[in-house]
Amino acid sequence: MSKLLSLAAAVGLIKDGDTVALGGNTIQRSPAAFAREMARRKKRNIELVKTAGAYDVDLLALAGCLSAVHAGYIGFENMGLAPNYRKAVEGGQTQAKEHACYTVIAGLRAAAYGIPFMPVAGFLGSELLEVRDFKLVKDPFTGQEVVAVQKLQPDWAVIHVHEADVEGNGRILGSQFEDALMTRAAKGVILTAERIVDKSQFQKHPESVAIPGFLVNAVVELPGGAAPGSCYPLYDANIEAIRSYLAMAPEALDDYLKEVR
Amino acid sequence: MSEHKPNYTQADMMTVVMARLLRDRERVFHGVASPIPMVAVQLAKRRQAPNLVYLSITGAVDGLPEAFPRETTTDGRLLRNTASLFSLTEIFDLSARGQLDTAFLGGVQIDQYGNLNLSVIGDFHKPKVRLPGGAGSAALLPTTKRAILWRTKHDPKVFVEKLSFRTAVGNVDKVITPLGIFSKEDGRLKLWRVFPYSSVEEITSLTGFPIEKSPDFAVAKAPTPEELAILQEIDPNNVRAVEF
Repeated sequence: MSKLLSLAAAVGLIKDGDTVALGGNTIQRSPAAFAREMARRKKRNIELVKTAGAYDVDLLALAGCLSAVHAGYIGFENMGLAPNYRKAVEGGQTQAKEHACYTVIAGLRAAAYGIPFMPVAGFLGSELLEVRDFKLVKDPFTGQEVVAVQKLQPDWAVIHVHEADVEGNGRILGSQFEDALMTRAAKGVILTAERIVDKSQFQKHPESVAIPGFLVNAVVELPGGAAPGSCYPLYDANIEAIRSYLAMAPEALDDYLKEVR
Repeated sequence: MSEHKPNYTQADMMTVVMARLLRDRERVFHGVASPIPMVAVQLAKRRQAPNLVYLSITGAVDGLPEAFPRETTTDGRLLRNTASLFSLTEIFDLSARGQLDTAFLGGVQIDQYGNLNLSVIGDFHKPKVRLPGGAGSAALLPTTKRAILWRTKHDPKVFVEKLSFRTAVGNVDKVITPLGIFSKEDGRLKLWRVFPYSSVEEITSLTGFPIEKSPDFAVAKAPTPEELAILQEIDPNNVRAVEF
């Protein structure tokens, strides 16, 4: 059964108020083109889930799409802070639900494992315990205190992959990041793919296919879909394009979204 | 400051002392936005720590980048030469079970206990400045066997009496600044090394908490010609200096 959809139709699956996990890490293999389409479609009150984010999160914050962001890190690494995410949080439009990257993973694991929460090592002494909804619980076996993270079950995981077939099997080359876990934790999965390949390609090496099609609701053929971020080894991040995005006045967003498809 | 200009930069000095702290065969991790650790690991592997196991967010195990990426330290270029993958999730798990030797972490603010803030300036819920967030630090700092912190600015806004917010607490061993190195001893940061071009007085005047010298206090050895030559060879584009 073919799950191929247009980008617009796939973005249309996401409803206002949904929780959406985005794959990739900082400017590497993020579903950037998908995020731009979410911005064009003016999605509202979206809660994002990401371990470490940059362009995708910042752009959605600028477009007014985000009510909250669950993440360990949002920034442009050596290029500086995420200006529009910063403004959205400082202005009160977007809530920074700060995690350690490991607690995002723990919350996703709880969802993937079908359990209500996940204990996690470390974290003691952090004031994040006081300001976020992490809990100290007692190990029922030893009585020792441990930090618990509530399950974090996204409505959607959106993952940019190198290759997918029309049934939604997806192959990621190089860094896998936390993408496979996101597909197990989320209620639904959307893949954007550099190219669509025949299923027989995957049948030769099923061990290289991290995402099984039966978990996937929609597949979008989207070459260059991670740009201006990287999709190693196909293309590097376009640093000039990222810097020009960072320098852009907020009012220029509509033009930017028309220009950059 | 000394009279004659040294033939090395503050970035060279920080990279060299960071590399010297690494040991052979240990498992070492750095995360996002970590250019100096990225270069220091390769310098250490070329010198005293050839069997150091280098882990990063890319999942690379002992990646050997041909050229260091300038803007990011999560780039696929770090995958070069890697024969297996070990994801970030697995690195956190490794640390959780007590098998990660060294993690490199940074702090926008660092206090005299080596606690760090990467979250906010001002109130957490209504921040004056929303910082990027602690990334892995709240989970890693208490679980890694040791953490080496670094910050390319040394002033009273970084090294503070009181943090705006305590993002992470844990097993800090050393804190490297452009002027010297603090060592966490008896629960407090003590001045352990001063760099040849700085002084205890300069560091005292630029630190927001009281300076106490470590019993092992010394002037750090300047980068040797051999160390500088390797740096030039592995990092000709001076990526180690991008945070300055």
